[in-house]
Amino acid sequence: MTNKFFQLIGGDADIGSSKLFWIGFVIVVVLFCLYPTQVSEFRASNVAYYLLNIPLGLGIALLWGYCGVLSFGHVAYFGIAGYTYGIIAGNMAGNAYGPMVGVLGGLVASIIVAGVFAYFVFYARVREWIIPILTLVLTLILETFLGQTAGYQWRVGSVLLGGYNGMTGIPAFQIGSFVFMGYSFYYFCLIIVLACYVGLRMLLNSNFGQVVIAIREDPLRTEMLGYDIRARQWLVFVLSAVLASVSGLLYVQWGQYITPSQVGLYAAALPIIWAAVGGRTSLLAVVIATIVLNWVTYTLSSQGNQAAMVIIGTALVVTMLFFPRGIVIMVAEWLGQISNRNKPVDKVSAHE
Amino acid sequence: MEVDALALSLAYQLGTNAAFLFLAAVGLIIILGMMNIINLAHGELMMIGAYIATITHHAGLPFPLAVVASFFGVAFFGAILELTIVRRFYGRELGALVVTWGISLILGQGTFLVFGPFMPAIKIPGGSSSYGSFSYSHYWLVLIAISIALIFVLYWIYRHTSYGLQARATMQNAKMANALGVPTARVYTLTFSLGAGLAGLSGALLAPTSTIAPFMGQQFVAPAFITVVVGGATNVISGAVGSSLILSAVKTPIGMALGAFSGTVALLVAALIIIRIMPNGISFTIQKYLDRRRNKKA
Repeated sequence: MTNKFFQLIGGDADIGSSKLFWIGFVIVVVLFCLYPTQVSEFRASNVAYYLLNIPLGLGIALLWGYCGVLSFGHVAYFGIAGYTYGIIAGNMAGNAYGPMVGVLGGLVASIIVAGVFAYFVFYARVREWIIPILTLVLTLILETFLGQTAGYQWRVGSVLLGGYNGMTGIPAFQIGSFVFMGYSFYYFCLIIVLACYVGLRMLLNSNFGQVVIAIREDPLRTEMLGYDIRARQWLVFVLSAVLASVSGLLYVQWGQYITPSQVGLYAAALPIIWAAVGGRTSLLAVVIATIVLNWVTYTLSSQGNQAAMVIIGTALVVTMLFFPRGIVIMVAEWLGQISNRNKPVDKVSAHE
Repeated sequence: MEVDALALSLAYQLGTNAAFLFLAAVGLIIILGMMNIINLAHGELMMIGAYIATITHHAGLPFPLAVVASFFGVAFFGAILELTIVRRFYGRELGALVVTWGISLILGQGTFLVFGPFMPAIKIPGGSSSYGSFSYSHYWLVLIAISIALIFVLYWIYRHTSYGLQARATMQNAKMANALGVPTARVYTLTFSLGAGLAGLSGALLAPTSTIAPFMGQQFVAPAFITVVVGGATNVISGAVGSSLILSAVKTPIGMALGAFSGTVALLVAALIIIRIMPNGISFTIQKYLDRRRNKKA
């Protein structure tokens, strides 16, 4: 049993499977655990923001990097989950179970929308470029819809949707009477991010994961081997939407507000950039890129630098031109060559 | 409202919606159909077209000339984009999507930094007339006429010029065309440049009807891409025309009855249903029908 566990977690679906790697991994996790003891609550809360974006990035890595399906619109599920949580938990304010029901409702709402959408695109077997376009259109329409919900006629129970100003006063997450705020919210994020990473890594090393990777490499061949690729693509799409929803839920619990710009064009660009710059065929690379790029964006925009989007966009273009497989992956392979122990395991096919 | 005025009004709305969709999508669908590249910077190219028209028009150029200037300005910019970036992504559809998105972010935010949040508007040229209780703007009638003229010009270019012949050969089989002496690299540059130029032209033509701002391209993104997805890439002209007509027929009644936003949602729903039935788009279905008829004759 434990043997099977280690096989799944240590498999070759992601970079790093040597003993040295795992020692480093544990050290980094311990450092993340110790971080809040050294800094103010404000700082810890900032880092919690970088962490809470990771599931969204992982969702894109799963879908684009491992399954070969690109979505520009996963922030739609981020937004749907966030808004649904806000509506439910806001209406149940004062009730200790409100946030729990809100989380459940947010996930269910996302799964329904993603499931219906994915049914239409995957069961129609559309050409691969159509999916990113339709996902983008969906998220833009969602932004337009949310943007025009200002005023009192757009009230669900006691919660205002709020138009472009967004929804405010969203309750924090709580279990029983314990409310996750500040330091405790940081640890809450850390645990969820770790669970997402380890869980995904195990999933991708399982038989299911191997079939998903086979679909990326050659859909027709995989189908000829007897696998129903449409059902698997559908499932992966919904799963990645769930990951995006996890980020959305954490986001509204962190800032206690959400605005339509969270599902706008620029928000939609960010997870793609994290995945592309880090290296979409590695979960860990995307995790690292998500933290670093969030830190860069935050630092730039908190200095009032309006060029942040230009810099991020340039980073994306330069990566796609010169490091098409991602910067973190290339660094990791270079390190692997030096230690001559980690062989590059994940080969991106030339036609992506 | 009298019956004939209502009928006229409906026809006018159908025409303007179809013209809008066609203008928004034509540059995009040419690049996709000929080169298999989805240009996500399309909205920003339209925005640049609108900016060139605004700046030159306010500098004293008559509006029609400003529109022509936009076409050539953006076509030139498109050629540079193709030569420096886009040509590295042939055969990598998703890579091309992502890199053109990066370009669109840079262009949108870059324009914001250089020109500020908005530009002075262009007054809609021409007046409006009314028939009974139905009133219409002359400018939109001109836009409908320009759309129809564009269809014929494109048809002429692809059927009767040597560029058109080479472009069609490249589209069918690039390697074979190259082996037979077609300069495919130049055909690609020209095609991307033509598509970009048309985006600029459309941006300039639609500029008087919208606010001119760095992020104005975004409003064209959804309709343009839905039109292209529904149209498909098998035949550029039949795809663009067929899908803008069908989508306009969906959008117009719903938009008139329930408001503009519901019209846009209806577009997305219609697109999802149409690709469920015709995964390769309308142009593929039309092409198959034409081929079958031709084979029957032969």
